[in-house]
Amino acid sequence: MAQDKNSKEAKEHEHGPGRYVVIWLLLLVFTVTTVVTGRMDLHGANLPLALLIATIKATLVVLFFMHLWDSEGINRLVFGVSVLFVIVLLLGVFGDLLTRSPAALPDGAPQPTLEPGAGIPPERAPTQAP
Amino acid sequence: METQNHASRLGMWLFLGTEVLLFAGLFLGYSVYRHFYPHTFREASRHLNLVMGTINTVVLISSSFTVAMAYYSVKKGRNKAAAGLLIFTILCALTFLCIKAFEYHHKFEEGALPGKWFHFQEMEGMPGANMFFTVYFLSTGLHAFHVIVGMAILIWVLRRLIRGDFNQSYYIPVELGGLYWHLVDLVWIFLFPLLYLI
Repeated sequence: MAQDKNSKEAKEHEHGPGRYVVIWLLLLVFTVTTVVTGRMDLHGANLPLALLIATIKATLVVLFFMHLWDSEGINRLVFGVSVLFVIVLLLGVFGDLLTRSPAALPDGAPQPTLEPGAGIPPERAPTQAP
Repeated sequence: METQNHASRLGMWLFLGTEVLLFAGLFLGYSVYRHFYPHTFREASRHLNLVMGTINTVVLISSSFTVAMAYYSVKKGRNKAAAGLLIFTILCALTFLCIKAFEYHHKFEEGALPGKWFHFQEMEGMPGANMFFTVYFLSTGLHAFHVIVGMAILIWVLRRLIRGDFNQSYYIPVELGGLYWHLVDLVWIFLFPLLYLI
């Protein structure tokens, strides 16, 4: 099978069970990391760090457990487009939320801590009550 | 045969794409309310059981690993090993559900429930606490439903495997059942840190 490198099947057969073991161990290491760092005081870096670790873990699962790494291109396209639309959804909604006037926030929600001018034109920045 | 495999694999990936979008709606809901009530959400996550959440994460990751190994074993013609790995995976799914049931039971006793049933004394009067537990129950509930469905699919695959339906050239149901199970793992990988940790 080693001579027949052009065939897709041969490519898939190249890796043994070792690859799965390595990915599993990496996933466990990342889980421990996220649990240990999750509740530390990292001065606001907790959320980005947790999301980064989750994204790395998810990427490992998708590429190697789900074989998107050596799958047909069309499957990669389908999944990629799905992820792309999730990003569009989040960007669209947060584009709205981060530029809203305080009056549009629900009861009891803390006022936004945005500095006037941080991403919003000054004339539309929320006016803070004295 | 190869074309059929490609087609069914593509169909599965299309389905998984819609599943991702389904859960994306719930993650969006979480993000919006977290944006409104950052302090409350941080506080509420401290009221979830981190030990149970972590154990469940390890259980799901390991079951993902064993289902990948089962697929590998079928491809190599080792059906007995594959059956053992699938049984282990199904037991992991059951373990996950049992732990989740304990967690839910505890939340019911505390009154940390969604909507009008919310009467959690430790967080009474904190704006947004209600919303955290609504999002918590909706997202983990939908996820638990996926665990049950995934388990049913794996039991069906196991039955066919024992019956001798699969061999080195025909194993697509094992592969696609495995893909569904990995998606369940994938969703939990994001749910766990967002709900339990931060």
